[in-house]
Amino acid sequence: MLGVYIHIPFCQRKCNYCAFSSFVCDEKEVERYTQKLIEDINSFHNKYPQDRYKKVDTIFIGGGTPSLLPLNHFEKIVKALKDNFDVSDDYEFTIECNPNSLSEEKLSCYKKNGANRLSIGVQSLDDDELKFAGRIHDGEGAIKTIEMAKNYFDNISCDLLIGLKGMKKSKFLNGLDRLISLGVKHISAYMLQIEKGTVLEKMLKEGTESVPDEEECIEVYEETTKFLAEKGFSRYEVSNFAKEGYESRHNLKYWSGEEYVGFGLSAHGFLGDQRIACADRFDLYYKDEGMYCENLGNKEKIEEHIMLGLRCKIGVDKKYLMQLGYDIDKNNSLKDFIENGVIISGNDSKLFLNPQFYGVNNFIITSLLPD
Amino acid sequence: MERLKKIRNFCIVAHIDHGKSTLADRLIEKTGTLAKRDMQEQLLDSMELEREKGITIKLTPTRMNYTFEGEEYILNLIDTPGHVDFTYEVSRSLAACEGAILIVDASQGVEAQTLANAYLAIDNNLEILPVINKIDLPSARTEEVKKEIEDVVGIPAMHAPCISAKDGTNIEDVLNMIVKEFPCPKGDDQKPLKCLIFDSFYDNFKGAICLIRVFDGKVKVGDKIKMMQTGKIYDVTEVGVFVPFAKSTEVLQSGDVGYLACSIKTISDVAVGDTVTSAINPTDEPLPGYKKVQPVVFCGIFPVDGAKYNELKESLEKLKLNDASLEFQPEVSQALGYGFRCGFLGLLHLEIITERLEREFNLDIITTAPSVFYHVYKTDGEMIELSNPSSLPIVVEIEYIEEPIVKASIFTPPQYVGAIMELCQEKRGVYKDLSYIDENRVKINYVLPLGEIIYDFFDSLKSRTKGYASFDYEIAGYEKSELVKVDILLNGEKCDALSIIVHKDKAYTRGRALTEKLKKIIPRQLFEVPIQAAIGGKIIARETISAMRKDVLAKCYGGDISRKRKLLEKQKEGKKRMRKIGSVEIPSEAFMSILKLDGED
Repeated sequence: MLGVYIHIPFCQRKCNYCAFSSFVCDEKEVERYTQKLIEDINSFHNKYPQDRYKKVDTIFIGGGTPSLLPLNHFEKIVKALKDNFDVSDDYEFTIECNPNSLSEEKLSCYKKNGANRLSIGVQSLDDDELKFAGRIHDGEGAIKTIEMAKNYFDNISCDLLIGLKGMKKSKFLNGLDRLISLGVKHISAYMLQIEKGTVLEKMLKEGTESVPDEEECIEVYEETTKFLAEKGFSRYEVSNFAKEGYESRHNLKYWSGEEYVGFGLSAHGFLGDQRIACADRFDLYYKDEGMYCENLGNKEKIEEHIMLGLRCKIGVDKKYLMQLGYDIDKNNSLKDFIENGVIISGNDSKLFLNPQFYGVNNFIITSLLPD
Repeated sequence: MERLKKIRNFCIVAHIDHGKSTLADRLIEKTGTLAKRDMQEQLLDSMELEREKGITIKLTPTRMNYTFEGEEYILNLIDTPGHVDFTYEVSRSLAACEGAILIVDASQGVEAQTLANAYLAIDNNLEILPVINKIDLPSARTEEVKKEIEDVVGIPAMHAPCISAKDGTNIEDVLNMIVKEFPCPKGDDQKPLKCLIFDSFYDNFKGAICLIRVFDGKVKVGDKIKMMQTGKIYDVTEVGVFVPFAKSTEVLQSGDVGYLACSIKTISDVAVGDTVTSAINPTDEPLPGYKKVQPVVFCGIFPVDGAKYNELKESLEKLKLNDASLEFQPEVSQALGYGFRCGFLGLLHLEIITERLEREFNLDIITTAPSVFYHVYKTDGEMIELSNPSSLPIVVEIEYIEEPIVKASIFTPPQYVGAIMELCQEKRGVYKDLSYIDENRVKINYVLPLGEIIYDFFDSLKSRTKGYASFDYEIAGYEKSELVKVDILLNGEKCDALSIIVHKDKAYTRGRALTEKLKKIIPRQLFEVPIQAAIGGKIIARETISAMRKDVLAKCYGGDISRKRKLLEKQKEGKKRMRKIGSVEIPSEAFMSILKLDGED
């Protein structure tokens, strides 16, 4: 079944490390944007009339900060979705939110409209780290928000950032423990990346700020992995950890090669054999210009299957690769990887990356790609 | 013969950077062979064309016309390479001349190659005309340098033209002296044809082209000629001169310098140094030829991408077309796959070739550490010659090894004598003698192993003397030496391409330096990798590369799979530059890193 992604590119302020499509905007712009989103949703089936695109089982509203969206806009969007798509009984509907932009009113509205999963951008529970990151909430605020959200949602995920200035292993693990005791069922833990054009990049370049070195981050990451495992979270993807049954179904679609449609600025979709991305500039987006489309040939499909399958628990299907013309058993590195327990060879022609090696998946994937 | 009296054949020799090419350009300009405006442009155009065809004329002869005291003269300038590696080629061009201009830098004075080149010219019975260049420099010490030439080189220099080739000052003096001082060629048009092939190059349309100096007789299109050494007979399809571009003429006669084409399919059919004569009316006796030049420095050259083996082969063959001194033969390395063992005249020659392979032929190559030719005497009485460390027999089979040695002379201001002696000592040199040229300059003679010279000697000499010392050497036979092979083991597996042959006293230091360097260059792998240096079974140094812990933990940006895939494709491409030893991936730079161990950190 189809997955639907909706991008809300608005933020109260842009975080120092952020390189996503997000902007601080006025009400008029938000209004106009919502209108365009609804138009796109309404016209989707003109372009994609196939039956398989009617039924939807995952919805993900991401950003930016979707929780900033005025509720009337939010309801309009959800209505458009329901008008155009047949949502499966067993569905997942995620909304990304920031700790400071949530309220009882919003939570209740989300729930009423069918949302059943929250992904909260906690990033850290340490105020200094948060300040460094340019976040507008503090640690206590985040905890209060989660406590409040718990009254509406069982399935709550938190995003965390490893590598902010001031990070300490013990502090980080304590925070993690706190989140779990609040009933958080899913953790996405990312290492801080210094992206080009971000405030953070500038700060580091100018030498006014510094971040912990990579060794330290890796250490914290490894401890995090261990700690979460002890708490019953399985690492089902490189950066994602979940209690059983709480894996993000929408994100798994990305990694399993299933189809999804993306609405909104710089939203990505995968329909048929085509990877699609909407323009990342408002002017182009409103004119339906600047779309990126790429038709995948066998080579690209093989590469994607290996790269996506090995970064999560989905794994790689040798038979499928063979159909595409790649006999992965002929790869020189594979035997070594299997012998050394890096790659686990499952039954029925499946290969999995040993989660212990998730952190170095680039190395392994590039070794396994066809020449 | 009136015609011969109007010809002067000469070359220009000098220490590197004393202004050889600049003077050559000035002479061409002054004689009106090329207009100043055209010079740069045309010379460059021609070079580009040559490059497209895969040729380079190394010894470019240029024919100039010059009027002196109302008489018109033909001046044939034969260009020479200016580096110690190419001494052999210099001597080839000298054999085609009657005179040599010896340029000496007015501020630097006599340098190592000034002397070496002057001796070559003297050996070839050439008339030498010293020319003091760069008199425009504030540091010029013209009179002192003249005296230096007289004292050190031993030729009169008081009337040497003092010029600035850069500014064009006193160029006419040089031209006049060429006419006045240099003897005209001797020869007889009526005698059977006798020419010397002093160089050759390959032209895609005309085949191998011989650069010749005619000593006797004449040659024209349609003549049947015979190469005396190879015995092959050809019909001449074109003769001509360089002005400075190839221009066909009707005939070349005794005393002339020019070229000859006769549809020779491969350059190897042209032996440089051979005598060309008439097939119908041959001369009795060939000109004294050259010894075949022997390469002294060797290294392995491998394509970074194993699939490019054939391209590498074709490129080397193309280079060989114009560079008979380049030698190569197929070699297989466990680590590097299929490639070639190549022989060169020296390190510079090696650098030029590898650079041309990369630039002109667009090849990514791996070169292994340069090595010399060893004589290995085995216990069974057999002697084998080898340059590849991995071909060295096991220790118990070796009675002893001999390595090539050179006689080196170094010119330096006296304050660096200590530093130079220290360097030569480190390089296992044996001190011979020291003499003062004047109060500012000293000449030191050493006997050094060639293997040490090709290993970071030039750079060290330069840095320790702030660039003031100059250096020249000649091969002086073989000497017994206590040499051992140091192997490198990665994860317990020997990597043949990283083995080196060194003196036993240096094995330990080199082994340690090598492992340290490799640790820096080899990226972390999935598992810990020990790097060991070993002599036979004995480990002499060890480093460990710890296991890779992270290469990506960043977000797979929403559904943006394309971006991620492209990133991986790029990394995959990067991996093609890696070599695998067992399960260890090594970047191609690692193999070259062993060339540069000293003088770092």
